[in-house]
Amino acid sequence: MNKSKLAVILVIGTEAVFFTLLILAFLYFRSVAKGNTPEGLLDVVKTGIFSLFLFSSSFTVWRAEKNAEHQKIKRSAFWLFITMLFGVIFLTGQGIEWNFLIRHGQTISRDLFGTTFFTLTGFHGFHVLAGLLILGILFILSLTGNFNHKNTVNSVGAVALYWHFVDIVWVVIFSIVYLGVKL
Amino acid sequence: MSNSVPTVRNIDTISMPGEYKGLLSWVTSVDHKQIGIMYLLITLFFFLVGGVEALFIRIQLARPENTFLSPDAYNQIFTMHGTTMIFLVVMPMLIGFANYFVPLMIGARDMAFPRLNALGLWLLFFGGLILYYSFIAGGAPAAGWFSYAPLSEKVYSTTTGMDYWALGLLGIGVGTVASAINLVVTIIKYRTKGMSLKRLPLFVWMVLVNGFVILFAMPPLNAALVMLLVDRLLNASFFTVTTGGSPILWQHYFWAFGHPEVYIMILPAWGIISEVIPVFSRKPIFGYEFVAGSSVAIGLLSFAVYAHHMFTVGLGHPFNTAFAFASMTIAVPTGIKVFNWIATMWGGRIRFTTSMMYAASFLILFTIGGLSGISFAVVPVDWQVTDTYYVVAHFHYVLFGGTLFAIFAGIYYWFPKMTGRLLSEKLGKLHFWLTFIGFNMTFFIQHILGLIGMPRRVYTYPNLPGWGSMNMISTIGAFILAISVLVFLWNLIVSFRSGKPAGDNPWEAWTLEWATSSPPPPHNFEKIPLVRSRRPLWDLKHPEDPDWKHES
Amino acid sequence: MQTSSPFNPVSPGAHDISTLFIVTLIVAAVIFSLVTGLVLFASYRYRQKEGEGEPPQVYGHRGLEITWTVIPGLILIFLFILTLITMHKSDPTASPGTKADLVIIAHQWWWELRYPQAGVVSANEIHIPVGKKLYTLIESADVIHSFWVPQLGRKMDAIPGHPNHIWLESDKPGLFLGTCSEYCGAQHAWMRIRVIAQPEAEYNAWLADHQKLPVFPTKGEAAKGLQVFEEQTCINCHSIAGVSSNISIGPDLTHLASRKTLGTGILDNTPAGLTRWLKNPQAVKPGINMPYMKLDDKQIKELVAFLETLK
Repeated sequence: MNKSKLAVILVIGTEAVFFTLLILAFLYFRSVAKGNTPEGLLDVVKTGIFSLFLFSSSFTVWRAEKNAEHQKIKRSAFWLFITMLFGVIFLTGQGIEWNFLIRHGQTISRDLFGTTFFTLTGFHGFHVLAGLLILGILFILSLTGNFNHKNTVNSVGAVALYWHFVDIVWVVIFSIVYLGVKL
Repeated sequence: MSNSVPTVRNIDTISMPGEYKGLLSWVTSVDHKQIGIMYLLITLFFFLVGGVEALFIRIQLARPENTFLSPDAYNQIFTMHGTTMIFLVVMPMLIGFANYFVPLMIGARDMAFPRLNALGLWLLFFGGLILYYSFIAGGAPAAGWFSYAPLSEKVYSTTTGMDYWALGLLGIGVGTVASAINLVVTIIKYRTKGMSLKRLPLFVWMVLVNGFVILFAMPPLNAALVMLLVDRLLNASFFTVTTGGSPILWQHYFWAFGHPEVYIMILPAWGIISEVIPVFSRKPIFGYEFVAGSSVAIGLLSFAVYAHHMFTVGLGHPFNTAFAFASMTIAVPTGIKVFNWIATMWGGRIRFTTSMMYAASFLILFTIGGLSGISFAVVPVDWQVTDTYYVVAHFHYVLFGGTLFAIFAGIYYWFPKMTGRLLSEKLGKLHFWLTFIGFNMTFFIQHILGLIGMPRRVYTYPNLPGWGSMNMISTIGAFILAISVLVFLWNLIVSFRSGKPAGDNPWEAWTLEWATSSPPPPHNFEKIPLVRSRRPLWDLKHPEDPDWKHES
Repeated sequence: MQTSSPFNPVSPGAHDISTLFIVTLIVAAVIFSLVTGLVLFASYRYRQKEGEGEPPQVYGHRGLEITWTVIPGLILIFLFILTLITMHKSDPTASPGTKADLVIIAHQWWWELRYPQAGVVSANEIHIPVGKKLYTLIESADVIHSFWVPQLGRKMDAIPGHPNHIWLESDKPGLFLGTCSEYCGAQHAWMRIRVIAQPEAEYNAWLADHQKLPVFPTKGEAAKGLQVFEEQTCINCHSIAGVSSNISIGPDLTHLASRKTLGTGILDNTPAGLTRWLKNPQAVKPGINMPYMKLDDKQIKELVAFLETLK
């Protein structure tokens, strides 16, 4: 296993604990809220559709990784671009949802649901954004002839791993927050 | 099979290699040795700041109902003293040592990610600046280093101090995790040929275990900090009772970080002791596998004991029982180490350099701290002494008498390697005795203060019998410590300028960092010796009885 | 008055803890002596002497490792068992539905006291009957505090939203000192506790006294003082039964004159002390919630005269 992949696995380990704790806080406060949860305001279908873009981007980033490994650089660049596009679409969906909630009075300060919902989805969105920035850097590197170096190719695989992680975290959050899955 | 002979640097040319000259080369450096030294210098600076804060505390407490500091000023100062010593001194100082010495000890040229290494350093520096900026931005944080909610919430801590505290710690925390990742990847992937994990120097083993503890202990803190910031800045309700939040949630998350944190602050120190004692006893470490294995056990167990900080929260007997059990269990691997270190000294030919004096007294002082720690695992005893000066005594024994003494041992041991010059033994012995006497005078009596009812974190106290005189003794001890620090600084300065040239291996030690010049060249090694055991240089020097004949 | 130490126990629970503590300290002393003795002995016996070569290289010893794993383990099991026993003995669980004899509500930086069954409200100085166990609730009105009187037993945190309980009891009469034991902000240092244990008859008399409404002065300085109390917004924060009640922003003052200290322990309760306090409480105890009231000397004199009647 190359050093980049090992490093990202460790990053995933530490961030997984971070998200677990935010999710636990969400679950704890939901369990003591005695049924006063305004999940009715959440649009599961709309968010579900936007989520599909995020889930699909795991496939696209995998393609980017494979193409980079085989030095098919133009294709890798293409798949990177699609990955970023899908990521941006997902974040746009998040923004639309947040805007809707806030306009209808469900702010972060209104109640415990607001507190935990916005913190959890906010930090997930932040991690998506960070991923997008890194993908952007890789995209630029692919266009400027830097993908022939082994370290750079390894980074694509490592970043892809991070991207899958961000995806899986969203699977968990979506299930618990939107689908009401109890643990 | 050829064993390589390390290059001997000419005494006349002992100085930092050309690349190391100039401030800009330091500030932009990605070399692990320069970064390591910068960690040590930055943490030394914060050590002095934290020390001055401690002196202020001790002056205020020297007499009952003293008026040297206002209550508000005192509360800010004790909060900053604790926060500084933990996040800006002890933890990063150990990371600094790891940065410098891990690549050398495993025969590598640098860390796995040199630029990430620099990032960690500068996040520490700027995180510290953000934290200290609070003093001139309306007031430093004043809710104690563990900032319990709801005291830390906006309604009770009205200045921006708490926000700077949280932001500063987040910055420092990210840097720490970056360093941990770097160290773990470096140790796993960059060991020289022949250096299996079973042949790692124990300092490197401890850093490896520590890296994992950091990776899993920092997230609870980061989660708690962001939740606090969201509460304070966006009026959310994580910890505010009046709107349904839970102060106890803060405590769970904080201590899930806070307890492993104290192991983060001791594991590398144990590593230093495991290097120093064998060299100055002229014997290999006794029970290598047990010292290494017990450290892994402690790393894992450290997450299972955290709620012993919450025995008085009222979470019920079953809850307390579980954590008492785990807390007592963790004492066993800790004791194993102490006995192995003593056994290493046993039958040796002990050379009492300053480094060894610090290491030997570590054994005694750390044991005292460990024993008072075990008394806290006895839940009803904790119910009496938690939150008193008995606790303050306990943690200063393990963190000062323990970690800091180990750090001093490490400095006297490794300064020659880093600078090419030996620290003065004469000044070193003076430093040692002043520290030993000052430390014990300051802190032993605090056990007693706790046992006669003095709570911690108080800006003053009533004139009850004995309280004033004991506090005065403690304050005098603190000033002796201050003098010891001055002696130490003097030693550093004088020896750096004109200390005796050290040569490659002044202590006749056996691990790879001694197989190169002092200081090492930028690429670390001209030639790396063959590694067939835990002590490659012993094997070189004693081909008739090499270690690999005795190791499993 | 004895030192406020866990080693001067005056309740059954504190006795149990004290015994366990002494056992723990003895175990610690033995281990300490062993470790220190070994280190000092080895330092002396095996110090380097002139002209010696390297000593025999010893790598380990299985038997020793087992010994110093198992023996400490056994010692800890012993301590663990004692811990369990004492934990339950010194702090027995209450049966559900137990009525509170005393409710202590911690505030920044004073203690509100309520004896629900007697209908008595007081502050800071706790009276208890000798030889009886009081089921005591520990609560907080603001941040986390902790109630601790070493001679009477364990400390217990006062956490807002999470009521706790302890059994408060003393074997003998006397004054027992304690203190808030969880950093609670600016004046944590001056949140002292005074527990006065009295023989049952005296305690009942004290309780009865505290149930009575005060007789308000109708003439002289003291009467004017009552007027000052009502007009100068004191009643917005302080209760005095018969004048204003059910306010607990500041301590209940109905029987202020019966207490020995002011400001939760920072001043003695004398006319001079009370005058100093009223002149500017912020100068005495900076940071507390009672503001500088800007009373003039005449008003203060009258107030003091009035408050001194509240026995």
